[in-house]
Amino acid sequence: MIRAIRKYGTLIGIVAVILFFWINIPDTFMTARNWLNISQQVSMLAVTAFTMTIVMAMGDFDLSVGSMASLAGIVAALAFKAGLPVPAAIALSLSVGLVGGFVNGALVSFVGILPFVATLGTLTVFSGFAFLISGGKTIFGTDIPAGFSGFARAGIPLFQIGDQWVLLPYLSVLALVALLLVWVLLEHTVYGRRLYAIGGNAEAARLAGVRVRFLRFSAFGLTGLGAATAGLMYTSRVASANPTQGSGLMLSAIAAVFLGMTMSEEGEPRVLATFFGILILGVLDNGLTQMSVDSYVREILVGSIIILAVASSSLSKLSQR
Amino acid sequence: MLETSRLAKSYAGVPALKNGSLAVVGGEVHALMGENGAGKSTLIRILAGATAPDDGTILIEGVPVAIESPLKSRRLGFRFIHQELSIIPELSVAENLFLGRPYPRRFGFLADWNELNRRALSALNALDIRHIDPSLKMARLSIGDQMLVKIAAAFLDDGGEAARLYVMDEPTAALTSAESEHLFKVIAGLKARGRSVIYVSHRMDEVMNIADRVSVLRDGETVATSAISDISKADLIQLMTGRRISDAYPARTSAAGPNSVLRVAQASSRSVRQVSFDLRAGEILGVTGLSGAGQSELLRLVIGADKRIDGDLEFTGQALKASDTPAERWASRIAYVPRERRREGLLPRAPVVENTVLAHLRSLSRFGLLCNRRAELLASMEIASRVKLKSTGGRQPVFQLSGGNQQKVVLARAILGSPKLLLLDEPTRGVDVAAKFDIHTLIRQLAESGVAILLASSDLSELIGMADRVMIMREGRQVAVVPTDGLTPSTLLGISFGEPA
Repeated sequence: MIRAIRKYGTLIGIVAVILFFWINIPDTFMTARNWLNISQQVSMLAVTAFTMTIVMAMGDFDLSVGSMASLAGIVAALAFKAGLPVPAAIALSLSVGLVGGFVNGALVSFVGILPFVATLGTLTVFSGFAFLISGGKTIFGTDIPAGFSGFARAGIPLFQIGDQWVLLPYLSVLALVALLLVWVLLEHTVYGRRLYAIGGNAEAARLAGVRVRFLRFSAFGLTGLGAATAGLMYTSRVASANPTQGSGLMLSAIAAVFLGMTMSEEGEPRVLATFFGILILGVLDNGLTQMSVDSYVREILVGSIIILAVASSSLSKLSQR
Repeated sequence: MLETSRLAKSYAGVPALKNGSLAVVGGEVHALMGENGAGKSTLIRILAGATAPDDGTILIEGVPVAIESPLKSRRLGFRFIHQELSIIPELSVAENLFLGRPYPRRFGFLADWNELNRRALSALNALDIRHIDPSLKMARLSIGDQMLVKIAAAFLDDGGEAARLYVMDEPTAALTSAESEHLFKVIAGLKARGRSVIYVSHRMDEVMNIADRVSVLRDGETVATSAISDISKADLIQLMTGRRISDAYPARTSAAGPNSVLRVAQASSRSVRQVSFDLRAGEILGVTGLSGAGQSELLRLVIGADKRIDGDLEFTGQALKASDTPAERWASRIAYVPRERRREGLLPRAPVVENTVLAHLRSLSRFGLLCNRRAELLASMEIASRVKLKSTGGRQPVFQLSGGNQQKVVLARAILGSPKLLLLDEPTRGVDVAAKFDIHTLIRQLAESGVAILLASSDLSELIGMADRVMIMREGRQVAVVPTDGLTPSTLLGISFGEPA
């Protein structure tokens, strides 16, 4: 019984939350349109959380993802302003993410700073750069090419209601692609297995021939790349960029991974579980907004649910001893 | 003094102890022996108040007692010294000694460090330990010295609760011969003061030397209690295993090959100084010395875990680069079993399969990239049966396995890639007799099949029984390389201490 609760507790929670909203918002909540809407709302957070799972598999953190997302958005917007074509601007922005991630990786694996401290430092640095190059101002739509901002509005047509097509938003597709890529990487490649080995016991992994330094270095690079992707998605969606746009991403992404970790037997971060973590956060946010719950109350609720989920899984583990 | 009869304890319906009967008289060293899983730990946990028995009685001086908590156990005068070091490296020796006890105070609330250090010093001196400064950080001590501090902590008498029984669970597992000798002196002193010791060890020679009587547990039952003088090693092994295993080490049946596998020339690292030797295919070279003499570090130098700062390494005729990491060394088919299996060897929460294939993920993968779980499982199961691993299957997390089986997992990983050179650091430490025999047999088979083996060990009879030659190290330097033919543990120990070879 306890075992079942521990294993499926988070899933039961998700179902309960969905049922709750279904009953309380009968007209709009359980509709395809709303679910597609949720998928788009969480897509940026999802990409960040999926790639965050990569470093968390090694038992590390990246606190700088939010400010990296802001910086990447600003870089893209400024590149558009400077007249760069869309692919070039995207490439530039993504390289900033990759390089920023490598900086984190180098600090952690070659300099030997704790990830918490190293990425706390770069969080501030990236954010500072975002403010510096943007002059602290939001860069608005006129400079952003329609081809870029149109991406976030378009999608794959699914079916027709009346004369309106219901679309699967490209942003959601992108999040699913990120999920697939990270899932293959972590679960089906030698690379991913070694990351989990580092998380299990870094010293044992090193002595068994795992290149711990290189792997940590590169994994942080991938997380930086994911954060930059999320920043681009955000810029595309709101057709503007401001230096604080990504500020909420980091805590939510880590929360999603933690929620996911409560679902696995050994408490390891698994990307499919992170997906469910994202689902909880997205559904809560969407449902509570529709019920017009005050956003501060929403924060209190979401925070409490995270603590509840993690506490119940940790307590059930304690009782096993 | 202490008598337990028919103690029983089951975990989830599986009996761990069925008939734990033990009678310890005052002033004796009573050895408790048995294979891993025979019920020794459960019996000890009951005495420590960590677990309540399902059945059975405990009598102290003829009076029945219930030990419902560790505190009660302490009040009854029981003290426990565990094999696992639980120390806090950041704190000083004195603080570790008095951990959980009230510190001396100044003005009622400030810790009086001078007084604490003074008391610690006298506690150490009482055990004739005079080389440890109590104000040093615990982390700066060797493992053996840390163990001595933990032992001293168990000997502290506080608040009139005089200790009368010490339970030592493999106290010498991490100690060198010299440090063990020190402990034995301490034990003799305790005996002289009329205190009793329950001594758990897998080391037969130790038990024969220091114990007065021995009780043997098998499958949760006490199968025999006997005076040490009335029993032979062979009898003990038969009692423990229920079958007769030759105490002798598996003998070599063919000579080492002519080809040099590893040539070490004047190699130095931070803790190894100018070591040179030649290791041939099929040869077992033992490495020993006092603790911290550089044996482990020599192996770490060869696997590339410690940086080489001078000298040359040549493996099957090719120079090994100083910049190599363990990854390159494993790839060139050098395998390594580290000294601390839990800290350096295992992914404790990961299953057996993941642990065994860890060093071979690439060779077992598709196109060097995608994991092939089926191939991994097959390879792992095949190697597990070769090392005679006892587990519920490949999916069992290794932290659930006994010490001997955990060691077999690390060993399985090492031999999975059919290495040409095998580096073994204390491969049978804390391993029960049957598993030890399995491991020795396996090492012998590997050597016969042409694998060159570097075997670091503090178990001198193991070195003499298994190795062709033994290198003795002192302070990072090699002092001698001697053939094992006709070698005795005492000459080996003598050389470690500095007598001429």
